Amino acid sequence: MTTTPAFTEETLDIAGTSLQLRRGGSGEPLLILHGELGVPDWLQAHELLAKHYSVYVPSLPGFGTSSFPDWLMSVRDLSTWVSWFVRAHGLSTPLNVIGFSLGGWIAAELATANSHIFSKMVLVGAGGIKPREGEIWDYFLHSAKEAFQQSFHDHESAEYLKYYGKDWTPDEADQVETNREAAIRYLWRPYMHSITLPDLLPAIATPTLLVWGRQDGIVPISSCELYKEGIPGARAAVLEECGHMPEMEKPEEFTKTVLEFLGG
Amino acid sequence: MFIGHFTEEPWQVDNWPDEWGTGIHKVSNAEYDPKRAANLYNRYLDEKIYAEEVGFDGLMVNEHHSAPFCMNGVANVQASILARITSKVKILLLGNILPIHDDPLWLAEQLAMIDVISRGRLIPGIVRGSGGESISHNIPPHYNRERFEEAHDFLIKTWTTPGPFRWESKHYQYRYVNPWAVPYQKPHPPIWVPGTSSRETVEWCARHRYPYVMLSTQLELTREMFKVYYETAEEEGYAAGPQHMGYMFFVHVEETKARAMEVGRTLTQGVRSPFDPGVQRPIPWIMSPPGLNSRKAVALRRQMTAPDATGKTRAGALASFEDQVATRGMIVGTPEQCVEDIRYIMEYLRPGIIIFRTGDGAMDHESQMRTLKLMGEEVLPAMREIAKELDLPGPYEVDPATNEAVEALAS
Amino acid sequence: MFIGHFTEQPWQKEDWPAAWGSGVMEVSNSEYDPLRASGLYNRYLDEKVYAEEMGFDGIMVNEHHSAPFCMNSVANVTSSILARITQKAKILILGNILPIHDDPLWLAEQIAMIDVISKGRLIPGVVRGGGSESLTHNVPPHFNRERFEEAHDFLVKTWTTPGPFRWEGKHFHYRYVNPWAVPLQKPYPPIWVPGTSSRETVEWAARHRYPYIMLASQIDLTQQMYKIYYDTAREEGYEAGPQHLGFMFFFHVEETEKRAMEVGRTLTQGVRSPYDPGAQRPRPYIAGPPGIATRSARALRRKMTAADSSGRTRAGARATFEDQVATHGMVVGTPDSVIPKVRYIMEQLRPGTIIFRTGDGAMDHESQMRTLKLMGEEVMPKLREIADELGLPGPYDIDPRTNEPLAAMAS
Repeated sequence: MTTTPAFTEETLDIAGTSLQLRRGGSGEPLLILHGELGVPDWLQAHELLAKHYSVYVPSLPGFGTSSFPDWLMSVRDLSTWVSWFVRAHGLSTPLNVIGFSLGGWIAAELATANSHIFSKMVLVGAGGIKPREGEIWDYFLHSAKEAFQQSFHDHESAEYLKYYGKDWTPDEADQVETNREAAIRYLWRPYMHSITLPDLLPAIATPTLLVWGRQDGIVPISSCELYKEGIPGARAAVLEECGHMPEMEKPEEFTKTVLEFLGG
Repeated sequence: MFIGHFTEEPWQVDNWPDEWGTGIHKVSNAEYDPKRAANLYNRYLDEKIYAEEVGFDGLMVNEHHSAPFCMNGVANVQASILARITSKVKILLLGNILPIHDDPLWLAEQLAMIDVISRGRLIPGIVRGSGGESISHNIPPHYNRERFEEAHDFLIKTWTTPGPFRWESKHYQYRYVNPWAVPYQKPHPPIWVPGTSSRETVEWCARHRYPYVMLSTQLELTREMFKVYYETAEEEGYAAGPQHMGYMFFVHVEETKARAMEVGRTLTQGVRSPFDPGVQRPIPWIMSPPGLNSRKAVALRRQMTAPDATGKTRAGALASFEDQVATRGMIVGTPEQCVEDIRYIMEYLRPGIIIFRTGDGAMDHESQMRTLKLMGEEVLPAMREIAKELDLPGPYEVDPATNEAVEALAS
Repeated sequence: MFIGHFTEQPWQKEDWPAAWGSGVMEVSNSEYDPLRASGLYNRYLDEKVYAEEMGFDGIMVNEHHSAPFCMNSVANVTSSILARITQKAKILILGNILPIHDDPLWLAEQIAMIDVISKGRLIPGVVRGGGSESLTHNVPPHFNRERFEEAHDFLVKTWTTPGPFRWEGKHFHYRYVNPWAVPLQKPYPPIWVPGTSSRETVEWAARHRYPYIMLASQIDLTQQMYKIYYDTAREEGYEAGPQHLGFMFFFHVEETEKRAMEVGRTLTQGVRSPYDPGAQRPRPYIAGPPGIATRSARALRRKMTAADSSGRTRAGARATFEDQVATHGMVVGTPDSVIPKVRYIMEQLRPGTIIFRTGDGAMDHESQMRTLKLMGEEVMPKLREIADELGLPGPYDIDPRTNEPLAAMAS
């Protein structure tokens, strides 16, 4: 049965930023931190999660239509911004968080510094740690189109076709470029990893689930192992036949895995 | 009139596959044969010495990274050599790629030493560089313009302010700036800026009264860019003149037109610059990574390279050797024919600086030496007469910083 | 036997106040007169060219920053020039200060070009640098050794691995390493390491089988350092030999003993290196900012510079010109009198590399040329015979990497 997605989209002047915020559902807050390619819409996974939680999907500074203050220069700045946003928007803490790729890195940084902000944390294909084997795929030696191809294992999956596997309108192409301009500032050097985060992970007290697509073509699965070794008590769930964006490629299986963890 | 000499110092090898194009960010340096390179570097240096001997006012060098079409990976290495092995020409760097330096104090020290060793003959031009340079040196492209301006301001301060002083800005921090080498030329060596089509660069240049040298050999586009310079100068409250304007184009001279066309064609062969007309462009996201250029500049470039009424792109319209010769993007012929074409350019653009790009592409050493000889004997003297007639002072006749007359070019 | 020539290229000026000492981070660069500097740089280059002509195997250059006692702030500038203006001498850089480079790809590119232009004559030595180098380039002293080792590993990888490859270390990050210039010498140019008294540096050099050149001209101290090299080599499973060991000392030779003493004395006058015996040391927190040396290295240095029974410090005991001459720290005399003294050094230390430090301090050009001439005509031929007699192969006789004999040094 398909239902009409129920979400609102608004622009708020909050946490030092003119912020694009999508939200839907009701109940306890669930914060979604998107990845370095931005988030194109209210996605199917958001809708599924919104049946259980009040889901907040801010476009991080520089992404979507959110503004991009000059002072945001690093992922650590961004993690501080997230904590500012949570407080400024009056979200009750601790709250649950799901971070995708860049968003996972942000959540992990924040959890190392503040053990009281998150009740549970889900890191999905998270950046931030240099993999033991392989390399984090280089977005900036490739085109935007190739980045999405590389992010998906199944190029026939519905949301890939809907958002990426097609010709973009000029506005869509422009939004993609805007997101790349934001990503490059946060990720350029060291490329998509932190030198010190691995040493800080043991400070995390938040129950953590790591979700990785077995065929993640962006952040190799060996980074998942390093996160698991670093964060006390972290569990890992690997989705088979799945790439870097499980929430778009396998929304139902992904949501089920996450809900089990958050509800359990 | 200031007449300069330039070759991009391309890699030369007979069996370079077409699909490698310029080789920029495409070809492994496993293909770099150091013995061949040793001969090429020294050949290009020999040619520069000869260019000085036949009467050029300046020897221009540039740099690119991971770029076989320009072997000169570090312009300051060659500039160092030229400081010692030449004795009167200006050494024109166009230029050091400021934003890709994490520590511009190295530049301040290197350039000061080169200027001093050359006894004040250095023109340390500056550029922002394209995406490939930022990628090779892994420098944030999104801060390119900020770093360019900050590094420039740092260099000028280092060259004009007695040390020690502190410099603490967004991208560069020092707590003890006091290098034991400052430039020979006072207040600081003349800075020139090359450009192709960035309006922002022309404006920046005009605001600083730095000579602007247009590298893209399209007469109309160049006149548009010069117009931006003149307008910005007016806003700044001074009148720009030929001493602020430079133009570079390909030249090949031979005794006969037939031979000139036959040999001149080699300028469009071999390992060529991706910025040249008709050449395979580098991958767009490498040329222009996110944030390197403003959205406005990207839009302008798209517009300029859009197809014209005939369906060919503007760049493409100038692609073939014959087209380029026909549109005076390349000047190829006997000395008389070349002088005639160059006169047209001088009348049309009124530049005070002209830079001949010669001996490039697949041109061999003997042909380059032949053309340099003819240039020295016949073309340069004729041009200097025309420049007088048309009143086109170069930056060593009228000081671009003040518009005051300066001493005749030191010789 | 490898015989090298070195001058620190000091600033020279008659009215330099004694209080300014070496001038390291003490004197404003408003004292730097570029006109005088251009004369000095070119004079030192003339002397190097002459040293090659007189038969030296190598011309050594170094660099320091904000340091009048060494005008050569960027060793690679002078090396670039030497690559083109000399023909057969090795160009010995001792060395590039690896830790103060934020972007060692510049070094990889510069050094490759210099090696290629020189047709394979470059010896790109590496050093950690004194504290003032870190302070002037504002590079974290506390990561000095980490950066030294990481930059070294990066250079070697860049020179030996076909690009493109990624480098993501702690201090240096690249995602596309593929410079269009790699060295001519294979697998990569010989790296030499100079030192004064750091045990860690000797051990590191020995582990890499890199020749170690002792710069502190004290025979007993040098013997101690060499012993560490030999011991480390044995631990590494190879036998070190003269090819791995070098020694530098001051030298001046004249036709008469009287004149030698009179002119040789100028080596200890003028703007002198703070590392030389008897010279005013830099302030301790400038020479050694927190973290640049380990605790154990600091302890060793304290011990070495502790006062002897006479109450003078060991360094101080060698301070005067006469003292230094008496202890072979400086070798000064006629050709006939200096040869036995150098022979003594060769017997005591058994180095395969000897570097003559000449023309330094307040020495004038004519005296330097005179001494170089006598060295070429009378001293060096004798020394080569002695080296043969004593069995002292240099690193171009026996390959330090393999201990295999090499073809006679290219000439």
